[in-house]
Amino acid sequence: MAGRSGREISIASPKTPVKRILSWEGALVLIFIAVNILGVILSENYTVANVLRQMPRYLAEIFILFPMGYILILGDIDISVGSIVCLCATTACFAGNAGFPFPVVMLVCLLTGLVCGAVNGAILAKFTELPSMIVTLGTQIIFRGIAEVAMGSGGSISYTNSIDLMVLTQMVGPFPIVFFFVLISAVIFIVLLSKTTFGRKLYAIGSNKEAAYYAGIKVQKIRFIVFSLAGLMSGFCALFLLSVLFSANTTTGNGFEMEVIAMAVFGGIATTGGKGNLVGGFIAAFIIVCLRVALGLINMNTQLILVIIGLMLIIAVLMPGISQRIKGMRKTVK
Amino acid sequence: MKKRIVALLMCTAMVTAMVAGCGNSSSEAPASDDTASTDTASDDGAAEGKDITECTFAIVPKSAGNPYNEAEAQGFQEAIEAAGATCIVSYPETATADAQITVLQSLISQGVDSITVAANDENALQATLQQAMDAGIHVSCVDSKTNADSREVFVNQADTNLIGQTLMDAIYDITGGEGQWAILSATSQAANQNAWIEAMQSVMESDEKYANLELVDIVYGDDEPQPSTEQTQALLQNYPDLKLICAPTTVGINAAAKVLQDQGSDVKITGLGLPSEMEAYVGEDNVCPYMYLWNPIETGELAAYTAMALVAGDITGAAGETFEAGDMENSPYTIVEASDGGTEVIVGDPFEFNADNIAEWADVF
Repeated sequence: MAGRSGREISIASPKTPVKRILSWEGALVLIFIAVNILGVILSENYTVANVLRQMPRYLAEIFILFPMGYILILGDIDISVGSIVCLCATTACFAGNAGFPFPVVMLVCLLTGLVCGAVNGAILAKFTELPSMIVTLGTQIIFRGIAEVAMGSGGSISYTNSIDLMVLTQMVGPFPIVFFFVLISAVIFIVLLSKTTFGRKLYAIGSNKEAAYYAGIKVQKIRFIVFSLAGLMSGFCALFLLSVLFSANTTTGNGFEMEVIAMAVFGGIATTGGKGNLVGGFIAAFIIVCLRVALGLINMNTQLILVIIGLMLIIAVLMPGISQRIKGMRKTVK
Repeated sequence: MKKRIVALLMCTAMVTAMVAGCGNSSSEAPASDDTASTDTASDDGAAEGKDITECTFAIVPKSAGNPYNEAEAQGFQEAIEAAGATCIVSYPETATADAQITVLQSLISQGVDSITVAANDENALQATLQQAMDAGIHVSCVDSKTNADSREVFVNQADTNLIGQTLMDAIYDITGGEGQWAILSATSQAANQNAWIEAMQSVMESDEKYANLELVDIVYGDDEPQPSTEQTQALLQNYPDLKLICAPTTVGINAAAKVLQDQGSDVKITGLGLPSEMEAYVGEDNVCPYMYLWNPIETGELAAYTAMALVAGDITGAAGETFEAGDMENSPYTIVEASDGGTEVIVGDPFEFNADNIAEWADVF
């Protein structure tokens, strides 16, 4: 089962409890627990309340993780999501400041995202010979460019009626409301991927586009849907990010695409397509978030935190390859 | 199968060890943790009259790797530690408000007593800083302010209008009162640079004598050497008649001066620069006849005294209050109304660096 990514990640979930723990998702759960133990050891301020309070900004990012997982499984990539977030937040600010009621503002924000995603999807479905990396690189520049032009020379726009946004920052007990939205989206996206024919089609396309086409799957239609979905979820991300930032500027959402791809890859989704699942990506996201919070609490140099996350990513990708090689060496010795 | 378990455990162990190792190497961490957590537990909000030697003061500069920001943080740290208190310097990961929020949230969790921030965006930090103030943390700004609602007081390096007037006088003097000139700024949303540019523009409009000066363009080098260099080259290409570039940012003026000198250009540069970086370019026949700045170390120092006065309960950040600032030149300082509706403390007047004094100051900062 080991594919080009090296990790043994199969579509069908392992059956026995032992196999479950030994799967990559099981390892991720262990790492997650380790990170939390580490957090508690490092700082006495690493409490549930503090971690949850610091989380909304990161949670907003996780909205994009789900469609990004789909896109990676398709064997594509979307590096324009950060710019879509920027454009969505900008239009939402303009709409809010123009005096529209908040539900309309939310709708404008989500719709902007959907349109941006649909543009990506339409170009890719229409001109199938174009690599998604290049197309979304183009739209990445275009979307952020539009936002920058709209914001003018100041490069920043604040959401004046901040009471509206407070709706999104409410707490339910110790949990910020965004936490539940992330959980709901996680359930929807995971079920859609693992329990429906739509999900199976994604894997089929990612494994072999030609074969999927001849099996009667409408490949381009599905790519269009998935890229549009990425736009829509970027809209959600922008909305909740706005509730933290209360403004948009030219750097809003910068680098989100790479952070999200890192979470997905760390979670076991192969960028070559057809492999991995969202459960892994979801746990990986929380590992990275908790690690950043924990290291932040001991005032570690922020650049150093990035280095550590980068190292973890490389180790995670390399590890199965190393264990394969050890296995292979053993066989030749015998 | 066994191999997988071993590999798995190894990975977990490695990550844990690595992280723990790095954790220990970070210097101030353990000490600050202890004091911070006890403080939040004991008093929420009622911070007046605290013994500052038991308090933790944090500063969040604009970005890492900028000598100006580092000098400011150094001044802050020295003054805080001289008073026997604990200091945390937390640089954001990038020069964005977004990255500053991450750092600020972490400081709130740690329960520090005071946060001093040089804001990357005037409005974006509002929600986070208000959260900090609700948690009983004193919030002040230095170098680049937030809006009036998200701070108690702003430590202003120099009066905004005075900087605008001083720079316009320099531009008038160097160009001989006529010709094309351009501005090379930091990021397009940097609050302080935008305020100075605005002040320069209003000075230009207010007086007839500037009528022959034509501001052809304002470009943004994002306070990084490479983009600043590119923007300077673009200016030279697009405006062959350009006489002067004004860069009210230390990174920009340094990058631009290097471009002008390398190309042997006749275009002059002035603005705000660090003497140590600009020593090679300042001089009567050089690319930069003279330039201005204030002492960033002193700015950081005054920010430290302001933060300590706030925590000790000597001041509340209202206009008219005065406080002692150690052995600083202009001590005691008075808080005044700022143009944005909040209050501020002004460090001093901008200082001129020219051929006569640059060598002497280059050793200082």
